[in-house]
Amino acid sequence: MKSENLSVTAAAANTTGVAVNKTYWIKSIILLGLLGVLIALPWFTGYSTQRLMVELFTFYAIALAWNLLAGYGGIVSVGQHVFVGIGAYAMFSVSTTFSLNPWLALPASIIVSILFALIFAVPMFRLRGAYFAVGTWVLAEMARIAVLNSDWLGAGGGIPLTTMTGISRWLRNAGVYWAALAVGAGSLAVIWWLMRGRLGLALLSVRDSEAAASASGVNVLRTKVILWVIAAAITGTAGAVAYMNTLQVSPGATFSLNWTAAAIFIAVLGGIGTLEGPLIGVIVYFLLRECFSSYGSWYFIILGCIAILTMVLAPGGAWSLITRRKQIDPFGIRRILS
Amino acid sequence: MARPLMLTIMRLLTPTLEFDMLVFIETLINGLLLGALYALFGMGLSLSLGVMRMINIAHGDFIVLGAYLSSVIVMSTDLGPLASLLLLLPLMFVIGWLLQVVLFNRVVGRDPLSPLLLTFGLSIVIQNLLQEGFSADTRSLPAGDLALQGVELGGMSIGVLPLISAAISIAVFWFINRLIHRSPVGAAVRAVADDQETARLVGVNDKRLFAYMTGLILVTVGIASVLYGMRTPFSPASGPERLIFSFEAVVLGGLGNLWGTFIGGLIIGVSQLFGARIDTGLGPFFGHLVFLLALIARPQGLFKGGKS
Repeated sequence: MKSENLSVTAAAANTTGVAVNKTYWIKSIILLGLLGVLIALPWFTGYSTQRLMVELFTFYAIALAWNLLAGYGGIVSVGQHVFVGIGAYAMFSVSTTFSLNPWLALPASIIVSILFALIFAVPMFRLRGAYFAVGTWVLAEMARIAVLNSDWLGAGGGIPLTTMTGISRWLRNAGVYWAALAVGAGSLAVIWWLMRGRLGLALLSVRDSEAAASASGVNVLRTKVILWVIAAAITGTAGAVAYMNTLQVSPGATFSLNWTAAAIFIAVLGGIGTLEGPLIGVIVYFLLRECFSSYGSWYFIILGCIAILTMVLAPGGAWSLITRRKQIDPFGIRRILS
Repeated sequence: MARPLMLTIMRLLTPTLEFDMLVFIETLINGLLLGALYALFGMGLSLSLGVMRMINIAHGDFIVLGAYLSSVIVMSTDLGPLASLLLLLPLMFVIGWLLQVVLFNRVVGRDPLSPLLLTFGLSIVIQNLLQEGFSADTRSLPAGDLALQGVELGGMSIGVLPLISAAISIAVFWFINRLIHRSPVGAAVRAVADDQETARLVGVNDKRLFAYMTGLILVTVGIASVLYGMRTPFSPASGPERLIFSFEAVVLGGLGNLWGTFIGGLIIGVSQLFGARIDTGLGPFFGHLVFLLALIARPQGLFKGGKS
């Protein structure tokens, strides 16, 4: 019965994809235009704007990955910063050890993050729910202490990105910006494509009812591990690009809970379990930061209070306040049984 | 990961580091005493997970908050840290009761995600409020003569303060366990833990019970925080690490098993001190490592989960 339902849903999803209509073309043209403007940004903005955009895109990618895990996989991780650290350290050490151009060392972040995600999956997927959440935090703590005590990773001082010298200031800033844009847009594209496909359907069914999904042939554990690995790869690459901006990794900052805290805040505020949520969340996050970050601790107190209020008053986040009035679905990943 | 592991192997294989029985026993005893304090950290977490099915990410920050409140009481009155409990514990109870009524009861039972994220926000708020109020500097509670006194035992020196805190921890565990298993209120608590809906049907006011429960949890946190502050310097950022140690004790012991949490705390304490013997900077690392290994071997915890 359930599998019949699912195939009907899949068919419904397919037909919406096949019926290419005018709005599809309009959407595509707007999207391409926006992408063009974003690519051309370094030619008409200053370095400070580009640096801010790098932060915005990398935070967005990390929040999107966290939201993918929590909102679609039902996996809450409080230790995502472990992958920020692993990705950044992988790129930095590969680039400096082999005197490799930092951009060419970026694939190392993806590969190493995936490897560690697979290793971490062994103990972590024995835990469920809140236990998984805090368990990942334990992992991140272990990684931080291990790096802090590893002389070949620079111990407490970290690693400077010496391979950046010799690249002109304009090209360095623009290059890091383009890498961040690629990470931000790329992770959205990957996740959108996944959610439209077989894995997305499996995920939604697992989220709604694990027992029913498993009974209709979805390998629940495998689906969750795939999701965990994809989120790790995105987070690791975003971490590496974020630290191309600062040119220095150190255990305290790179393996800091602040990364995960920001991701959680962005996703919660924007709306967990939606593709649109993190987009709204990241904009609100940076607006708040630009306006209030000079207030120091009070800024974080305000952030925390907003997160608490969101969970109590509107657990669906800002996006749910919009869809409550008007049913819109710009990414076309909702599945409606018709 | 590589270096700590290699270090361990090297140290274990090096013949120059002869096995010293006395050092071994001393480390073991000190580890057990430290572990008893970790167990007391974990007790509140174990109760809120077992009864309310909610994890409190701000748990560690409450421990630090308690330590700061105690230090304020010590500084503004003539009371010592242990005597400050007289004022601190009622205050902690009220804080817990209010938080449950105003915030937690709105999200508890909705889904496992909501309480986690809400208390995550609360954790950030508490940390930064403490930083705003008391600066980022570390401080500690004045333990006076207690900190220096030791008991000579067959050539080993065991601190009096750790002995007292372990005794208090055991007493609190005994009392809470008795409260839950031998009292009418305890029966209601166990009923809600078993099946919230049915408990409600037979007349248990679960929301009100939860408010008293969180009050009680913060009382245990208050006791733990004074013992912690007398032993170790603390700062507004110390909370998350306390949460992780508490969490490890709870998961190791098995969900809903109070004495399991106690044993779990002991294991973490002993692993940390043996780890610190191998390399002073790696104590907590070995605690985490033992936790992960135990988790791989027995995901359900070391002991059978009795309902607490």
